Amino acid sequence: MSEVTAAPPRPSLWVRYTSSSPIVVTVFALVLGLVVGALIIITTTPAVLDAWRAIFHGWDGVPHALNVTFNNVGAAYRSMFTGSIVDPQGFWHSLVTGKGWTNTLTPISETFTYATPLVIVSIGVGIAFQTGLFNIGANGQAVIGGISGTVVGSMLHMPTILHLPLTLLAGIAGGMICGAVPGVLKAYTGAHEVIVTLMFNYVAYAFLLFMVLSTPFQQPGQQNDISRTMDPSAQLAPLFGSSSGLRVSFGVFVAALVVAFAWWLLNRSSLGFDFRVTGANPSAARASGINARSVIVVAFLISGGLAGLAGVVQVASTTHYIDGGFLIGNAGIGFTAITVALLGRNKPMGIVWAALLFAALGVGGRNMQAATGIPLDLATVIQSVIVLFVATPVLVKEIFRLRGVSTASVQLATTGWGS
Amino acid sequence: MSLLSTRTTSKETPLVKNRRTRVIAVLMALIGIFTVFVFGWGSESRAHSSLTFTPLNLTNAPWHLGSLTVVTRWTDVVLGLVMIAAAAEVFVRQPRRAVMARFGGVAILFLLALLFWAARSPGPSPVSSVNITTILVGSSAAAMVLIFGSLSGVMCERAGVVNIAIEGQFIGGAFLGSMIVSTTHDFFFAAIAGAVAGALIGLVLAFLSLRYRSDQIIVGVVLVTMLSSLSSYLNLQVLTPFPNFNTGNLAPNLAIPLLSKIPIIGPVFFNQSGFFYLMIVLVAAVSFALFKTRYGLHVRAVGEHPRAAATVGINVIRVRYINVVLGGAIAGLGGVAFMATQGQFQVGYTSGWGYIALAALIFGRWRPSGAVVASIIFGLSVYLSYELVTYQVPVSIYILQMIPYLITIAVVAGLIGRVRAPAADGQPYLRD
Repeated sequence: MSEVTAAPPRPSLWVRYTSSSPIVVTVFALVLGLVVGALIIITTTPAVLDAWRAIFHGWDGVPHALNVTFNNVGAAYRSMFTGSIVDPQGFWHSLVTGKGWTNTLTPISETFTYATPLVIVSIGVGIAFQTGLFNIGANGQAVIGGISGTVVGSMLHMPTILHLPLTLLAGIAGGMICGAVPGVLKAYTGAHEVIVTLMFNYVAYAFLLFMVLSTPFQQPGQQNDISRTMDPSAQLAPLFGSSSGLRVSFGVFVAALVVAFAWWLLNRSSLGFDFRVTGANPSAARASGINARSVIVVAFLISGGLAGLAGVVQVASTTHYIDGGFLIGNAGIGFTAITVALLGRNKPMGIVWAALLFAALGVGGRNMQAATGIPLDLATVIQSVIVLFVATPVLVKEIFRLRGVSTASVQLATTGWGS
Repeated sequence: MSLLSTRTTSKETPLVKNRRTRVIAVLMALIGIFTVFVFGWGSESRAHSSLTFTPLNLTNAPWHLGSLTVVTRWTDVVLGLVMIAAAAEVFVRQPRRAVMARFGGVAILFLLALLFWAARSPGPSPVSSVNITTILVGSSAAAMVLIFGSLSGVMCERAGVVNIAIEGQFIGGAFLGSMIVSTTHDFFFAAIAGAVAGALIGLVLAFLSLRYRSDQIIVGVVLVTMLSSLSSYLNLQVLTPFPNFNTGNLAPNLAIPLLSKIPIIGPVFFNQSGFFYLMIVLVAAVSFALFKTRYGLHVRAVGEHPRAAATVGINVIRVRYINVVLGGAIAGLGGVAFMATQGQFQVGYTSGWGYIALAALIFGRWRPSGAVVASIIFGLSVYLSYELVTYQVPVSIYILQMIPYLITIAVVAGLIGRVRAPAADGQPYLRD
């Protein structure tokens, strides 16, 4: 669009609104994700399929089948909502009687508890994305951070004022070491960070199992893969006191600090400027004298450090110990973080909203599994569908016939294998 | 060779290249020295390791090779010296090609030395002999799956599309393959179903990355996450309530008459499941199609310089669609083959093999033949890292399980920069 054209006629409000804002695409992607989730529920729930089978025996089966379908899908999504945000009935009950606030606030508290480490690790991934680096190993870095944080938190003993910061710092250091490897390899040998960080995930998982089953770190008197428990002085205390029954902890403030730090780094510091220039146009960055190698290494250090911090925050605010399944798997926090960072368009505040949304989906999914028996993994499927659509905004616009040609929102975070 | 041959054209100065080669040589030498002193001198002088060759499952083998008993110390010293010699050769001669292949060879020798050391006769191990044939057969199964994956990568990346979703295609193929083989008891249908599943995943990748030009690596990673969680969901929702859908089965071995009776080579190459032979046919077919046909020329042109290819009338988008879908089908077959060597479907049991296949593809310089060699090296290291558990090596099994991944990292780090990906790999193509 370089040539100068006559001023086009002012488009209608609807067109302007739907073509400019990336939020619109996100909302429609969310709708599409929920639709796909509903389709999966319909095609895999025996009760729904049985109801549809009945339509071959008579017309009156059709309304019944529709009814069963809506009931099942509705129950799933309703339990997702009430399990992650608020149960309206319970809320009304508490408001009128003044009792039962713990039960009423538990869902939203859980959502925040789940979102806290997710925000931190996603900001790490987002900073790497802004630098043009794809840190797909955030999960492994978070695992290592969780291990090193738990080692310091459970095996050293000192007052809170020292212990908690030291524990968090240990987590950051663990993640940084784990992030330094792909960073250095990328900077000095050109090894693609995607392969190296992916492989490092599996190394980290093996290391986790090694640690939780080896003598000094394993819970004394246990044969299972469980670590020692953190001292109370190393834990992130619940925000409303341990008697409140709500798990949301002071980790929220850690996450807020990270958000502020990331905002300052990316928008106000010269280092962040170097990051963004390198990400947007590596050859321009090189031409303007930015040291590409140190930018890559530092970006990976920050990214890994934040992932490690997320790992230790996860431990210190929820379980206080780690086991062999800590953060492992494709629904692991590091993989969710990639999708959260994409959804939040790699901006700190966007990531906060995206993390809250995905945390709500994850926590709600747990409630859905308990209430309806539909497996929790559905939430992850919905999350991936949302991100697939967010990564292809043009497709969303075509599906919903939104006008406007904003191909600029096509995100390219990575390039081929070259260095 | 055509204009579009993939000769290494490194932009780096020779000095940097030399330094990097030297670093690799020093690494190799360190591994050799470690082998000599820890495994060689670390074992008692009277310790013996015996190698057997008759596979345990082939009780009525028409041949019988006695066991070969070697002195552990001197065998490991010799292996270590061979590694050091290879390191010296790389350091002094600085060969232009196959440096990393030598590194892979050293890695395999190291694992063998470890195995001899672990199986030494007055020693801690309950297993007192190393069965070479069993090791080769076991790692051929691992290598087969990796070859399927890296061939899929060759197909996609030669056309300029990065297929990170190989892992997802493995999962999809294994899931559907297990369901079909459990219901029809026929691996033929399972193979078709797995190929279709892989092709469909490839189609989604192609659709999003070609038509809408979204980031190929991100789409691939998200597809893996989606397939992984979807398989876990369906496993709980369908396979657990109806276990008949996931009885699974091992693919039967088809022995080739006469050839399968050759000692050692017979069981490894001529007494395998149908998937193994299919894999060999596919390797030949893909090599031929890519390098000897007109279509292959088009594919490589599209992967190197799509604009130029379009100028001479090649439909870039169509070529990419075809290759990504075919590549997906191959990876889906790999998923079925994986299932056929492991039995029924389990959630998460591909544990990153799709990504190792991707590394094998890079190691193999985006060539089918190279991918085969790389997959054999990775397959051996994957198999040995699991096999060492039975020898009760005094190292945690979890540390041993890191080995294949660490070798992958080392190889990729040492390699990139000295091999060149197809020039347009991962770049979206804008039709003007």
